[in-house]
Amino acid sequence: MADRYSFSLTTFSPSGKLVQIEYALNAVNSGVTALGIKATNGIVLATEKKSSSPLIDPPSLSKISLITPDIGMVYAGMGPDYRVLVDKARKVSHTGYKRIYNEYPPTRILVQDVARVVQEATQSGGVRPYGVSLLIAGWDEGVEPDSGDVQQIDEDGEPKKATGKTGGIMKGGPSLYQVDPSGSYYPWKATAIGKHATSAKTFLEKRYTEGLELEDAIHIALLTLKETIEGEMNGDTIEIGIVGPPADHLLGYEGVECSQGPRFRKLTKEEIEDYLTNL
Amino acid sequence: MSSPFDINGGACVAMVGKDCVAIACDLRLGMQALTVSNNFPKLFNFGPSTFLGLTGLATDVSTVSDLFRYKVNMYRLREERNIAPQTLANLVSSSLYEKRFGPFFVSPVVAGVNYTTGKPFICGFDSIGCIDFAKDFIVSGTASEQLFGTCEGLWEPDMSPDDLFETISQALLSAVDRDALSGWGAQVYIIEKDKVTKRLLKGRQD
Amino acid sequence: MTGFDFSNYNRNAALHARGVPLPKATSTGTTIVGCIFDNGVVIAADTRATSGPIVADKNCEKLHYIAPKIWCAGAGTAADTEFTTALISSNVELHSLSTGRDPRVITCMTMLKQHLFRYQGHIGAYLVVAGVDPTGVGLFTVHAHGSTDKLPYVTMGSGSLAAMSVFESTWKPNMNREEAVAICAEAIKAGIFNDLGSGSNVDVCVIENDKPTQLLRNYMKPNERGQKERDYRFPKGTTAYLNQKIISKEDMRKYISVEEASGDPNLMEVDS
Repeated sequence: MADRYSFSLTTFSPSGKLVQIEYALNAVNSGVTALGIKATNGIVLATEKKSSSPLIDPPSLSKISLITPDIGMVYAGMGPDYRVLVDKARKVSHTGYKRIYNEYPPTRILVQDVARVVQEATQSGGVRPYGVSLLIAGWDEGVEPDSGDVQQIDEDGEPKKATGKTGGIMKGGPSLYQVDPSGSYYPWKATAIGKHATSAKTFLEKRYTEGLELEDAIHIALLTLKETIEGEMNGDTIEIGIVGPPADHLLGYEGVECSQGPRFRKLTKEEIEDYLTNL
Repeated sequence: MSSPFDINGGACVAMVGKDCVAIACDLRLGMQALTVSNNFPKLFNFGPSTFLGLTGLATDVSTVSDLFRYKVNMYRLREERNIAPQTLANLVSSSLYEKRFGPFFVSPVVAGVNYTTGKPFICGFDSIGCIDFAKDFIVSGTASEQLFGTCEGLWEPDMSPDDLFETISQALLSAVDRDALSGWGAQVYIIEKDKVTKRLLKGRQD
Repeated sequence: MTGFDFSNYNRNAALHARGVPLPKATSTGTTIVGCIFDNGVVIAADTRATSGPIVADKNCEKLHYIAPKIWCAGAGTAADTEFTTALISSNVELHSLSTGRDPRVITCMTMLKQHLFRYQGHIGAYLVVAGVDPTGVGLFTVHAHGSTDKLPYVTMGSGSLAAMSVFESTWKPNMNREEAVAICAEAIKAGIFNDLGSGSNVDVCVIENDKPTQLLRNYMKPNERGQKERDYRFPKGTTAYLNQKIISKEDMRKYISVEEASGDPNLMEVDS
């Protein structure tokens, strides 16, 4: 019955479903699990690099990508579709923003631009929806003056020191978004996508606490991955990207006013193995 | 025929002070030597403490100010925040350069105080979008040569808002009195982090 | 940014045909130079921008970023050098991300010349491209019509003759970093003092193998203005004003207002 609505053009079924999008979600839900956790001072993205054969050359595989110096992305679903989206995301961050304002887009703006690309594939002729869900992690500088002395009163009436940077364009700080094949996007504190997303999310719900630091988040990310991973866990089979403090040593030049290093970077094999030994 | 920059006349100047900036313009609109209006302000507001001054061909002044009102409103709707002076400067620059081979005959000036850092910011542009970042003052319009002279002589570093008002006003009034195409009163904005003061100056009406 | 908008072109051409002069763009009259040395390359520039005979900017930046290890010095129409280098920088960055390799100087030079040739010299950018990449050190000049040169030492701009005289008289092969920086700075100074289109300060950029690129902004300031002995500060109240309006921070907040919609259901029909 559903076969009647499975032509390449995305068409509504009488019940109001777009089954092509649901098929795309099926592709996502059979993909390798990827997860993201937002901390107070950064974000971690992690995934498994699954190879179908021992003959495969792992270093040539890369699933976590830098989009702008402060924004990174990971996926679950179809690898080829993801690579197309990475190229489009990088390109739109320049043509739709940097070449106009001479600065990189804030995370939410980039997410909306990517989501538009994904949505257009659900409403255009001759194309199929993208078979990927994305996790996009980025840091925004924010426009409000840094209010390090923000005092919040909790239930007990005790003043609690809160960091002003909780994410978003206004306050600045880390933000983590998920983009689905339909083109919808959601902001998360922590989430997982792919085959074991449900169990990983249950695990994250148990482990996640407010006020998490980046180092704790990396630890939790590895523990979550360990629950779902099928093969062995080592520097070759795990991929981790972090949004952290500006890495000025990666900038490659000195002496330019107001320039800072990229906040997004991928952890090296050695760094991952260091975290794994301390697990 | 005279240059399109000199048909309608007008002058604009911006200056940096201590934690404040000022931007001022004359009020004349002319057709060659005939004055048509003495109430043609050339300063436009694009958010709290962000201003754009436009001198040049009056038809382009109107068109360009409308264009940026549209672009800045779209920015504000999309990003749910006000545009920073630096960001506006880059937007103005890229928009003018888009018309590299058919430019608007305007010389824009941006002045503002950055909401995040509290730092004062001014800059000027040529008609095809080349930004002139200055730490002291920016001039534009038919009285720009006179303004270069008065500003170079009167400007001091780290002026208070009150001092800055006197300096920019005297610099502008002196300059436009020696330019037949500018004058007929002036408008001054003193921009501080949490306050903007707008003043109307009396000028010669000849 | 590559796509230009010609919507005003016909109007401006019609005005020009009736004898209206073309607008004068800011040009970087300019002295720019470049020189390779044993472990890298140095480029340098003066910091004067002119508009006709007027000095438009006394301390502008003529050294443009392309990639961490590729930088460009620009002469000619200031807006053209600024935007051409920004466009190529953007494309080089995207290319480098998609290939996963460090960008090469020759790639950048080729992209620049193809872009400039396409516009037949109408984009008035005269550039010195310099950098270090996996293939070694690169130093090129690119002219507005798209021609390029590859030389161990180069000069461009209105002060190029003054600057070249320094290179031709004192350049020697196999210089080290300090010697290369010194000869470039000396060449720029020759331009600053002998060419009217060049002036103010010396900016230097040193690109070396296995080291972060160093931008030495205002490396030399041979034209500092003397301190004024007195000032013309006006006493408060000097300028009379007809009226004033003070716009406070609270008023500025009102600039965008976010208000709860009134409960009147007749105002708008919304789907339930």
